[in-house]
Amino acid sequence: MSFFGFDATGRKPRERKQQGEEDSLDFEETYQGLGDYEPEEDDLLNDETFGTGADLGTDFDFGYGKGELGAGSGSGRAPAPAPVSYASIANAKMNRQADCKPGFEQSLDMQPMESLWGNSSGNQQQQVQPQAPTQFQAPPQVQQQGAPNVEGLAIQSLDRQQQMAMPPQPGFYGMQPPQNPGYGFIPQGFPQGQYQQFPGQNIPPVIPNQFGNAGFPNQPVNPQEQFQQVPPIMYNQTQGNIAHHMQHPQMAMPPMQNQPPVQPQQPHQQQLPPQYLPQQHQQDQQHQQQHQQQQVFQQPHSVDTAARTQAVRSTQDYEHSNSPTPVPTESEQVPTPPHTPREYRRGPRRFGTQDPLTDEELRRLQIRQSKVDKILRHSGVMTPRDKDFITRYQLSQIVTDDPYNEDFYFQVYKIIQRGVTPSESNKDSIAKAYLEHSGHRLGGRYKRTDVALQRMQSQVEKAVTVAKERPQKSKGGLDNAKEGVLGKISATRNSKAPRKQLQIPTHKEDSPALSSQSSSALDEVSESLQGVDINAKRRRSSYALSSSVDHRTVLSRSGGRKFILSLIETVYEEVLELEAQLRSGQQPDSSKLWEALHVEDHGFDVSPFISILSFDKGIKIMPRIMNFLSREEKIKLFNCFFKELSHLNVIVISSYKTTPLPTKDQLKKMELFQSVFLKIIVSFLSSSAEFLEVMSLLINVIQNNNVSFITTSRIGLNLITVLISRAALMKQDVSRGKLLSSVEVSTWSEVYDRLFTSLETKLTAIFPTPEYMQHAISVYEQDSTQYDQSYIWQFLASLALSGKLNHQRILIDEVRDEIFEVISKAEELNAPSQQDPKLAYQRNKFYQDLNLFLNVMGLVARDGEITELK
Amino acid sequence: MLLFSFFKTLVDHEVKVELKNGIELTGTLKSVDQFLNLKLDNISSNNNEKYPHLSSVRNMFIRGSTVRYVHLKKSMVDTNLLQDATRRELMSERK
Repeated sequence: MSFFGFDATGRKPRERKQQGEEDSLDFEETYQGLGDYEPEEDDLLNDETFGTGADLGTDFDFGYGKGELGAGSGSGRAPAPAPVSYASIANAKMNRQADCKPGFEQSLDMQPMESLWGNSSGNQQQQVQPQAPTQFQAPPQVQQQGAPNVEGLAIQSLDRQQQMAMPPQPGFYGMQPPQNPGYGFIPQGFPQGQYQQFPGQNIPPVIPNQFGNAGFPNQPVNPQEQFQQVPPIMYNQTQGNIAHHMQHPQMAMPPMQNQPPVQPQQPHQQQLPPQYLPQQHQQDQQHQQQHQQQQVFQQPHSVDTAARTQAVRSTQDYEHSNSPTPVPTESEQVPTPPHTPREYRRGPRRFGTQDPLTDEELRRLQIRQSKVDKILRHSGVMTPRDKDFITRYQLSQIVTDDPYNEDFYFQVYKIIQRGVTPSESNKDSIAKAYLEHSGHRLGGRYKRTDVALQRMQSQVEKAVTVAKERPQKSKGGLDNAKEGVLGKISATRNSKAPRKQLQIPTHKEDSPALSSQSSSALDEVSESLQGVDINAKRRRSSYALSSSVDHRTVLSRSGGRKFILSLIETVYEEVLELEAQLRSGQQPDSSKLWEALHVEDHGFDVSPFISILSFDKGIKIMPRIMNFLSREEKIKLFNCFFKELSHLNVIVISSYKTTPLPTKDQLKKMELFQSVFLKIIVSFLSSSAEFLEVMSLLINVIQNNNVSFITTSRIGLNLITVLISRAALMKQDVSRGKLLSSVEVSTWSEVYDRLFTSLETKLTAIFPTPEYMQHAISVYEQDSTQYDQSYIWQFLASLALSGKLNHQRILIDEVRDEIFEVISKAEELNAPSQQDPKLAYQRNKFYQDLNLFLNVMGLVARDGEITELK
Repeated sequence: MLLFSFFKTLVDHEVKVELKNGIELTGTLKSVDQFLNLKLDNISSNNNEKYPHLSSVRNMFIRGSTVRYVHLKKSMVDTNLLQDATRRELMSERK
């Protein structure tokens, strides 16, 4: 005995088939490749579930029948094991009597039909007309019984059909679709599959049992009707090769285009009073002696059972099943036949007066009916609890209890977009979206959308629980069993770990020692080629050295490109980790981050931190690093930065000496550095730095770098400007509040002197060459036709501000030529067309920049002349 | 989960989906699941001459495995955030 009621005797469908089949089977056609199926694990209970007769790869149909959906494809691969409606089998099984033979022979199901067809095929045409009168007498008999058993239904269906065909024109009759919405809804509660397997004849006993079936209380009614399931093509095929198609219950269904095959039954059935049915039954069995197994279906519905249950149950169930079923036909204004059992019972009386349906109406009904059939085909196969279970499992794949980890992008993106924390509304939105997905959004029959949403929300909650349990369970076997319910879930690939396009082999730790060794060898070669002694004062980079080192050698001297890149990644990871800690309210511990920055690491020629800043992503992470560093760490970091300023990639590329023709990328890099890192320095200096700390930064620059080289670069000049102007501001500030100590004042003047000395006589070098300026303009494609020199004048202004009178004099002496050049340029613009706003603006800009510097010394340049500032 | 998380942020935005069979569809993304199956609404085919049957289709469910590209507007992606998310994903994988 198997759960689904299959043949437990172990006969293969193919054997069975060959008994009833005249056609020889072409192996290629029949072979489904089932031999390739490997026996799977957990197959132990398969026999219990599906029966021993089920071949591997059998297409089980768990709906109430295949109908038109499946028939088309079914015909294509006829020799395959016929799809079986297990729902119906399961139903039947529940009521199976003790005497029934175990097992189910799907191939034999159609035998009764074969006999019917055989009997009737000859006299089909003649029967049509004479039958009509007798038919009208049959229904009342049924009615009198008080039990609308299916025998009655079938007959009445036929009545109805013929009724519609009135007046009986042969041509019209031929065209008439067998679909009749009237009885399309009558057999509610009958699994359609059984209908199909027992067209007419064997039905009566079945139905009452079906109704009384307590095992499927939730089984929604299935108002399917055999005739509607049949695609038009099938008829011809069926006629052509009955034996062949007998294998397929669905395919053997009555046709649409031609005379409905049920017609032939009429002679038998109509004249048979219900009590005669048993004999009829026996007769049928005679036709199929060779297929005794068939009785699986017939036996459980032996007459005594039928007689017992039929009268009582069927009536009740008709009433019962009628009410909850949506009956779409009611809404349509078609002169319809009865669609409810009650109406139906009244039906025969009305038949006489009913107008026949027009072609168009029929077609409409047909179309709608087929839609309804599609909808209802698998209706009720799953209980609401089953559906909830599936939903929960599906949801558990897309929800997470740790949204900031597994759903990071979405969560943070929403925060950035809306500025709100979506963590609470997140589950709700999933619930809503999923509701939409699952088609429950209308809220079911009572249109209770709120209830539906609530239900879905609770489902999401449960799904989160499932998702939480997922990792633990995946260790145990229980999980596999459950996940298998929803199909095979690959252990290696899923939504969490999709297949990767790129497989990066993970070898042993890429040891920094190794890479630094190899790169230092490379370094040595490049250095020796340029004749520079690598062992020369390490931290002191000469102008010559800086001009010759390219980006790569600087990198290699700080551990190698790979090492730096992996450092940056480590830094990112630490920052992400720290940010996650912040979000969860923990106290972030930045010691690991500090380690990763390698600020205090003196094991390399060039500090890795400086090299980190040569990559865009290294620069971009800096503001986020600053959130986690203590003040002391920041000062150390900036000290390190200014100490090794010459090695900074961005200095090299922003100096017109080392990079005479900068590319667009390099200019962009400069801009990025200015907008990110320079900003950090400025904000640190102006908010929390002490005067002496600024001094120490400045000393670091002067002592460890070639200042005149740094001042040839735009970024370098910017940095120095920031430092000295900040120092000057603090000095002035302090005079208002607390006084600078004498030590501080003397330090400052000493530092300033050193700075000035290192710049003296080389001040003109801070102005880029005209070629450089021209190139920068052309590369940058800006509106401006002039290179922006304001940063230079700012530097000179801040230098002059802190200097004594003699300093200022030297300054003016050195840059006198540049001053007059700017004035002459401005006046050039003035001459041709004063009215052009662009030129006027440019002219103004020249004077503005120049006056930044001149104003410090009490001078002002205006209209081509330099006068004293009043 | 990274791409699923990413595509969730595109819901209710207009995207262009290029399928592996060459069909290009523009429509509003309504829904996405962990297989990156997409549900599009108000779709329009970019080549109605070649695929006239699509002109009558209004919404569509696309199996994720049939998608070649999803074209986005630049403003729909926060690349920095996406970088972070990618790093997080990698970190959680390593754990």
